Amino acid sequence: MQNRNSYKKIEDFLSDESFQRWVRHKEDPTHWEEWTLESTERAKLVEEARLWILAMKVEETEISIQETRFALQKTWGSIAESNKPSPIKAIWQATWFRSAAAILLFTFSTIAYFAIKSGITTNTTITYQELIEKDSDGLIEQTNNSDKPQLITLSDASSVLLQPKSKLSYPKTFKGNERKVYLSGEGFFEVSKDPKKPFYVYANETVTKVYGTSFRVIAFANQPNVEVLVRTGKVKVSSNIEVENATTKEVMLLPNQAARFVRKKLLFEKILDITQDKPLLATTNPIEQLSFEFKDIPVSQIFRTIEQGYLITIDFPTEKLKDCYLTTSLSDEPLPEKLKIICESLGNNTRYEMNGNHIIIISNGCN
Amino acid sequence: MNNLRTNTEKLSDSILWSQLRVGDEEAFSLLFERYYSPLVNYGKTLMSEGDIVKDCVQDVFVDIWTYRSKLNEAIAVKAYLLSSVRKRIARHHEREHIFSKVKDVDSLEFLFDFSIEDRLIADEIMATKVGHLNRLINDLPARQKEALYLRYHQGLPVEQVAEVLNMNYQSTKNLLHRAILQLRKDFPIPILTLFMELSLNY
Repeated sequence: MQNRNSYKKIEDFLSDESFQRWVRHKEDPTHWEEWTLESTERAKLVEEARLWILAMKVEETEISIQETRFALQKTWGSIAESNKPSPIKAIWQATWFRSAAAILLFTFSTIAYFAIKSGITTNTTITYQELIEKDSDGLIEQTNNSDKPQLITLSDASSVLLQPKSKLSYPKTFKGNERKVYLSGEGFFEVSKDPKKPFYVYANETVTKVYGTSFRVIAFANQPNVEVLVRTGKVKVSSNIEVENATTKEVMLLPNQAARFVRKKLLFEKILDITQDKPLLATTNPIEQLSFEFKDIPVSQIFRTIEQGYLITIDFPTEKLKDCYLTTSLSDEPLPEKLKIICESLGNNTRYEMNGNHIIIISNGCN
Repeated sequence: MNNLRTNTEKLSDSILWSQLRVGDEEAFSLLFERYYSPLVNYGKTLMSEGDIVKDCVQDVFVDIWTYRSKLNEAIAVKAYLLSSVRKRIARHHEREHIFSKVKDVDSLEFLFDFSIEDRLIADEIMATKVGHLNRLINDLPARQKEALYLRYHQGLPVEQVAEVLNMNYQSTKNLLHRAILQLRKDFPIPILTLFMELSLNY
């Protein structure tokens, strides 16, 4: 942008965004008004440019963020669709090839249809055991044999609430450019944000890919479906590449959406609104119902909410913190991040120590 | 709120573009969210069927992702997107009109009419003047109007307007200049008196 003192034509003014804003919205941080009044010559030009702007209004309706997100999702859908491998064009154009392909396709689909119908799924089901045997990275396995959810904190400060009768395998520390964990059963994941290292949850035939969000995966070996429910952020669920003939390869999910992978049919069903789906709603965990949006709330109450959500105990100096109130949004944060944010907001060298399910807050009161 | 999202909100187009080229889905989504609405609005100036315009805009993004590795690094993202939407709509027209007459990108007609900023009009004299100028602008040839729209509404520099309209720099510059020159001849204003009236309103 050239210096406005050298403006000689209407065009110079019309293309100046701050000038447009001044005319349209009377926003004048750069003092157009004073500047205009400095010379009559200038005033003439400015006035004419003003008329132009008034005569050139562009009326348009902005598209809402909801509609935009919906369109984005549709676009991801089309991308997945168009990336399906297609036969090489030249061969495809040959008539003999097309007829042969049609016959083959018909034969195969008939076989596939009967195979699926009669429940032969031996080649397509993938079990937790097979998955962890393939991973060479020396995994830690945690099994929850109790009757309460169990908290697991991973090396990247992500947290997982593992439900009873469920197992999670994960490396002691995540190496390389990805974070992979394996689930059998049900877990609620809050993944710490790291755009450079996607986080993958392998569960039966599905793979859920995220960068940092919260979501729940339900994948019991003996149940017909795998379900992924999203609370915050964006999640991509796809079928494991080993499941080659799955119909839908991947689904993009936004908050309050879910995907159900029907294992027998090898296809995804998308649930656009969790709250409308009774079977899913019935299984909601306390942590998903609690709000972690706090507005001027005593910190003791915030700790109590966290205790309920993660089924842990938090010890804190009650007397020293009795007058501390916080306003903060912790919905999208894994447990260690929640605690860190609270400690930092309290200030005064407040910190926390974590021993399994027991958390100790060390504090001298808040600022 | 997703922090990644809020942090990247401020990232420039060119940074997102280069991340997109190496397969970053988040960068793609952010660019989509940033430009979907303006692109649909631009598309509607070239074609009245809103739903088809939306499909065209989405198709542009599908292609961008599909051919991301072949995309040019050094481009002006906004101009590239506007021009892709324009081509896409032209292609749609072509298909529609294949049996009647063939349209190409250059004959795509800008259908949009500028309106008047009523709430800022102080009095009748001004209303008459602005109304008159508005009519003159809307009577300009479609191509000149589109150039004005891209230059002053979308805020593209002249060379990018040229790119979107598929013209060379000098002719675009002339086109824009002619539009304004022409109207100034048709539209002599007793500027001084008008200015004094207006300055009272501030």
